[in-house]
Amino acid sequence: MRIVVAEDLYLLRDGLVRLVEAYGHEVVATATTGPETVEALLKWRPDVAVIDVRMPPTQSDEGLRAALAARGEVPGLPVLILSQHVEQLYARELLADGAGGVGYLLKESVFDADQFIDALERVAGGGTAMDPAVIAKLLSSGSSTRRLGQLTEREHSVLGLMAEGLSNQAISRRLFLSEGAISKYTTSLFGKLGITDDDNSNRRVLAVLTYLNASSAPQET
Amino acid sequence: MRQWGASACVGFARACAVVVVAMLVPAVWAVAVALWMWWGGDPWTWIAPFVWACIGTFALSRPVCRMTRSLVAKWTGVVIPPGYRQAGPVTRMSTGYWWNGFSYERTRRDALMDQRMRLWWKDPAVWRDLRFTAIVPFTAGVVAAVPLAGLAAAVLGFGTSSPLVGVLGLVVAVAAARYAWRPAVPVAVRLLRPSPAMALADRVDELTSQRADTTVAQAAEIRRIERDLHDGAQARLVALGLSLATAEKLMRTDPDRAMALLREARAGAATSLNELRELVRGINPPVLNERGLVDAVRAFALDSPLEATVSADVRLRLDPPIESAVYFGVAELMTNAVKHAHATRARISFAGDETGIVVDVEDDGRGGAGVRAGGGLEGLRRRLAVFDGTLEVTSPAGGPTRVRMVVPCESL
Repeated sequence: MRIVVAEDLYLLRDGLVRLVEAYGHEVVATATTGPETVEALLKWRPDVAVIDVRMPPTQSDEGLRAALAARGEVPGLPVLILSQHVEQLYARELLADGAGGVGYLLKESVFDADQFIDALERVAGGGTAMDPAVIAKLLSSGSSTRRLGQLTEREHSVLGLMAEGLSNQAISRRLFLSEGAISKYTTSLFGKLGITDDDNSNRRVLAVLTYLNASSAPQET
Repeated sequence: MRQWGASACVGFARACAVVVVAMLVPAVWAVAVALWMWWGGDPWTWIAPFVWACIGTFALSRPVCRMTRSLVAKWTGVVIPPGYRQAGPVTRMSTGYWWNGFSYERTRRDALMDQRMRLWWKDPAVWRDLRFTAIVPFTAGVVAAVPLAGLAAAVLGFGTSSPLVGVLGLVVAVAAARYAWRPAVPVAVRLLRPSPAMALADRVDELTSQRADTTVAQAAEIRRIERDLHDGAQARLVALGLSLATAEKLMRTDPDRAMALLREARAGAATSLNELRELVRGINPPVLNERGLVDAVRAFALDSPLEATVSADVRLRLDPPIESAVYFGVAELMTNAVKHAHATRARISFAGDETGIVVDVEDDGRGGAGVRAGGGLEGLRRRLAVFDGTLEVTSPAGGPTRVRMVVPCESL
């Protein structure tokens, strides 16, 4: 895969480049500021970009804005956002265009290199990779807990992994269950929640997240 | 006609009240003069009545002013701030002596007495009150006495069968009744309000106590951060270093154990990152930095178990300290709504113009919240007061709770 890495801290940038190269991917460009990131994304059209949220010049949400701007130009351009903290607010903004190819992970997710590369590949393939922390907050917010009360514990954890963007196969590996068992759980939980199942994992994530967001979303006025 | 009559009666009663209050001190002097005359007008017998009259004047000046103030407030709604100096706390020092804000005294009683004396002599409000009690009989008092005098003339006139005087007196009494008490209001407002110097002194007191509050709060906050870092991230990093050192040692001889240690180290690093993140969120939430107040509150609302609606009529960007104070205020109110009021919904709205920002937080909980000494809302009120902000809480038992924070500031 051809990858663009945008991260202003040298140590982290270097580490990320070495990590993805160790897995046989190619880093075509690096960027250290927001404007540079947009430029690199539009010039190289990478298979996937790894972008830090906070970068110069403003040290605010530069990276996120760069990613959204680039995706405005090239819909569905795969981006994986890394951050020291995760906010549902940002996750929503990333998912809002519904084009897929979006990842939003805590920086420490690189500690587990295999899972990180897995997420990267998923995003590059047009899938979704949401940090478990975002999903956990989403599942535990007021309205969700009430509506998810009817799910069994197992269905609950399957729903969480599904919202992270994992396929049935990946979920079955994570939970040490057969794929058949997982698809049984998904069918039953979709039935309970009244969402239509979809083989496309990206659309499935969107359906799940939309469902979870439905009534807990703060109104924009 | 009936209405006019009623208001004349009310006016007459008010005039009587003004006369009573205004004439208290002159009455004391009248008694003193009467005593002196009664004792025979001797050149030296005037001393005792004079001393008594002076003491009476001093003692009565403050009650007279207080009564005037409360009458004016009751009749017209004009609140005149009293502006008396407040006594500071009397505390025992490590030396065993008592400090009352002015001097050291051997006993608590001495310290209190000394404080009272000094406050009495140094308080400009005392001299203002004396001036008021001296002036008021000749201004408001005289005018308010007109209907009374009219009534007296009427009674006398009819009693001594000179009806002309009686009719004249009655006409004066009735005509003046509605208006006679009114001059008391401007006189009181003019003479009883705190002078600019007193207002400044009050402001200095207020600022001093705010500064003390802020310093204490800041020190406590720094101690908390230090403790959290010391017990959390620092300790974990030490453990991490230890695990790595041991793993390095075991790498050749016992690769399996080394591997286990490395895995442990990775988990430790993740945990310390988590702790640091929580700590940072408590000091200054990153999203506040990145997006400003409204989005930060939106992000907080998304994570909260409440179903919260956030609305803002403007895109606010305020000074960072104010932003932070308001953010933590809203966060505390929402936490209270969940924890104490058992609310399920909350509505947060921001409104602002060039003079300040108004934040309303409303929940559907069971209410009963109030600003109590040492309580969370009191702390919040203090933190807002640093920016001259105010906190209004309406929370009847049974709910709902409405809290309004107003902070004067310029939007950036």
